Amino acid sequence: MNSIIEAINKGIEQSGLDRNKISIPSDIPFEPETVKSLGVDYFQVPRGRAIAFGSGLKLGNPELKIIPVVGDLMTLGGNHFVHGTRRNMELLVLCINSFVYHKVAGKSVPVVTEAFSPYSTFEEPFNFPHLGNSCGAVYTARWTALHTAELAKSIAEALHKRGMSMIEILAPGPSYYRYVTDLDSELLQFYFENSTVKNDEDPRNAAITADGKIIVGKFTDKERATFIDSYNIQHTKILGDAFTPHGSLPEKTGGGNG
Amino acid sequence: MAEIRFAGYGGQGIIRSGIIAGKAASIFDSKYATMSQSFGPEARGGACSSQLVISESKVLYPYITNSDVLVAMSQAGYDKFESEMGEEAMLLYDEDLVKPKPPRGKILAHAIPATRFAEELGIKIVANVVMLGFFTAITNLVTYDSMKKALPGLVPEKALPLNLKAFERGYEYGKEILAKKQSNKGNK
Amino acid sequence: MKADPKSVLTGVYYIDGDVAAGYGALAAGCKFVAGYPITPSTEAFEAVCHRGPKVGTVFIQMEDELGSISAILGAAWSGAKTMTITSGPGYSLMQDAIGFGAMLETPFVLLNIQRGGPSTGVPTKTGQADMMQSRWGSHGDYEVIAIAPDSPQEMFDYTVKAFNLAEKYRCPVMIMSDECVGHMTEKVVIPEAEKIDVEPRRLFTGKAADYRPFSPGPDLVPKMAKAGEGLNLYITGVVHNENGHPVADEKYKSACIRRLVDKIRINKDKIIELKEEGIDGADVIVVSYGISSRVAVKGVEMARQKGIKVGTLRLVTVWPFPDDRINELAMKTKAFVVPEINYGQVVYDVARCAHGHASVVLVPHGGAGVHNPADVADAIEFAVNQEKPMEGVHEFKTRLEKSVFEGGFKLKE
Repeated sequence: MNSIIEAINKGIEQSGLDRNKISIPSDIPFEPETVKSLGVDYFQVPRGRAIAFGSGLKLGNPELKIIPVVGDLMTLGGNHFVHGTRRNMELLVLCINSFVYHKVAGKSVPVVTEAFSPYSTFEEPFNFPHLGNSCGAVYTARWTALHTAELAKSIAEALHKRGMSMIEILAPGPSYYRYVTDLDSELLQFYFENSTVKNDEDPRNAAITADGKIIVGKFTDKERATFIDSYNIQHTKILGDAFTPHGSLPEKTGGGNG
Repeated sequence: MAEIRFAGYGGQGIIRSGIIAGKAASIFDSKYATMSQSFGPEARGGACSSQLVISESKVLYPYITNSDVLVAMSQAGYDKFESEMGEEAMLLYDEDLVKPKPPRGKILAHAIPATRFAEELGIKIVANVVMLGFFTAITNLVTYDSMKKALPGLVPEKALPLNLKAFERGYEYGKEILAKKQSNKGNK
Repeated sequence: MKADPKSVLTGVYYIDGDVAAGYGALAAGCKFVAGYPITPSTEAFEAVCHRGPKVGTVFIQMEDELGSISAILGAAWSGAKTMTITSGPGYSLMQDAIGFGAMLETPFVLLNIQRGGPSTGVPTKTGQADMMQSRWGSHGDYEVIAIAPDSPQEMFDYTVKAFNLAEKYRCPVMIMSDECVGHMTEKVVIPEAEKIDVEPRRLFTGKAADYRPFSPGPDLVPKMAKAGEGLNLYITGVVHNENGHPVADEKYKSACIRRLVDKIRINKDKIIELKEEGIDGADVIVVSYGISSRVAVKGVEMARQKGIKVGTLRLVTVWPFPDDRINELAMKTKAFVVPEINYGQVVYDVARCAHGHASVVLVPHGGAGVHNPADVADAIEFAVNQEKPMEGVHEFKTRLEKSVFEGGFKLKE
């Protein structure tokens, strides 16, 4: 998790955005010191609600840049992801996938954590970039906790996208592994050996399978009207001068000026 | 105080009728009027009714105990609310859609082919407004001017002239009926 | 502070309670509404969607009620006054986040147009059976304010008030209306903006380094902040200290949660609003709220015609509960009669406060309709004829209840 925080930090740095205007609603706990060092506003929300809460933050003040951090494979709140992406809410969703790998009978299989799943797991993980792209995300990428430089670059790029961006981050479960450094490093070794960078890969081909390599990279980057753009266009069309557009207008890209 | 029940089926503008009469009474006649709607699980085509209580003073209890007027636009509506009518109530009904039982007590029944009149005007959905014109003429509970003032905003803007025509049609018919009944009484 | 003229739809309307509540929200300065339409609250959401864009209020139809409430909490923390609108099933879905909002001391308003429940219940008809849920629906200890308007005019007036209370006490404020009031159409007068008081957000104005998000003022309410102001906020639903940082110690737990409860309890006299009529010398006092209070009027009238001295006490605010007033009245009257559209919720609080000094009679109703006023009158007569206070809560058998019981719960189709 620390390497992810570091990547978020570098990503924000590279984006050149004002840290004061960045909010991170997260269902994964951050330490107060971490938040302080990032210089952002942080909200630890009930599990699964980071995207919905973040949508509210954004609509309440369109000047803000919102980075919802979601975990638990979005089993809770997956629908917020699907619909937030569909309506292209301007959020950068960091999806922490702690579906880690473990060798069982000589073969690598995904497990949630050994603590919760003593007999390993038989379920397949989500292909998040494919899900996000199908729903209309304007930016999709996947990196592991090992690819901090690439992850930081993706975060910097995605923060300038208008619309819903999503980056899947494969990482060890944050709390269970916090003190188990051996396993941590073992896992990072696993990521190192088993991942392969394929930028611009069609996300349909990027499913994580038990036998194959983990495909990482920046997969898609496109343009689509955001929720706020569409909201403004629609109401201006119907109401004309009676309607005052909300937030910054589409031609002004970047941080927005309220 | 007057308790009025509008009854019919969903899509006939039954609730809208209650709102128009209530708005006329409370905003333009400076009375108090409370309109409550009720509809079954499926609004369209299902049984539907609205109740309107008009009073000179603030309406505390907002519902009908014994209706003073039942406006029936469907047989099912009539059947359901017939027993609710008070001894001296008035029954207003669409004669093509409702076949009432022989009147009980001092109940006065007044019939109008509201839906047929509406069809003659070119569109069936103004039948409720024809009925409102009739209601205004017969009951005198809401004034003619207030009812006409209440229509804008409650019917589609483009259809306002047509609705006013429908209202007039019902009102005139109501006046004719009253005059006829009056002269019949005189002859007796 | 006075309302913004731009968002006040001054005028005389003939509208239903749902729409009036929507207009009230706009007048109160609500800038963000997230909802998921559900009968019988839909008209309120529609009113906001219709008028909102013209007065600078943003709306969104979320994917579900979990999303709606989470979004309004987010928007509240970016500085907006916010509301969500729902009914029974949606209200149940929102409970987790209601506790989260209470824990974060987020000001927000929740309009619940109650319908018959449980489950899908009777979507198009009334109920008052969410009252205890409004108080204790989310896990853990917290206090809320709940208001029960009884007319469209009150739906406007008390929606404005709900926003003001939310800002003042930084707590969830529930407008616990019901389908009858929500779908009741009456004249509603919306005054000029200068006649409407609105409570501004109590924002922290000092230096960023000095800000402690949960450091209370004398009334136990801390100053609020918003995201994007360089305050480096750390806000969590975990039990926290004054800095907002997580702590698991029992002392901090008490300090954090006790205050959520006490900030409402110590201010309750300022919050509670009751409407009383004919209380002096009354042998029976009818305690009611929402639509039941208007139905009870008729029953009271009937009882008075029989020569019974009846007073009425209307709970405009149901929570916090007026313990002291009920306790005081219990010493002076013979009985309380409580008609509510459920099988006994608020009545148990009346009984708790009556302390056995007066009989407490519940007039139940299962929902999908209102009480027969004759039942209320009969219950009053029954109560006044008791020689000494009855124990506990006596459930009066209404005509409707008898017809159900007599058939052994088997009704003829």
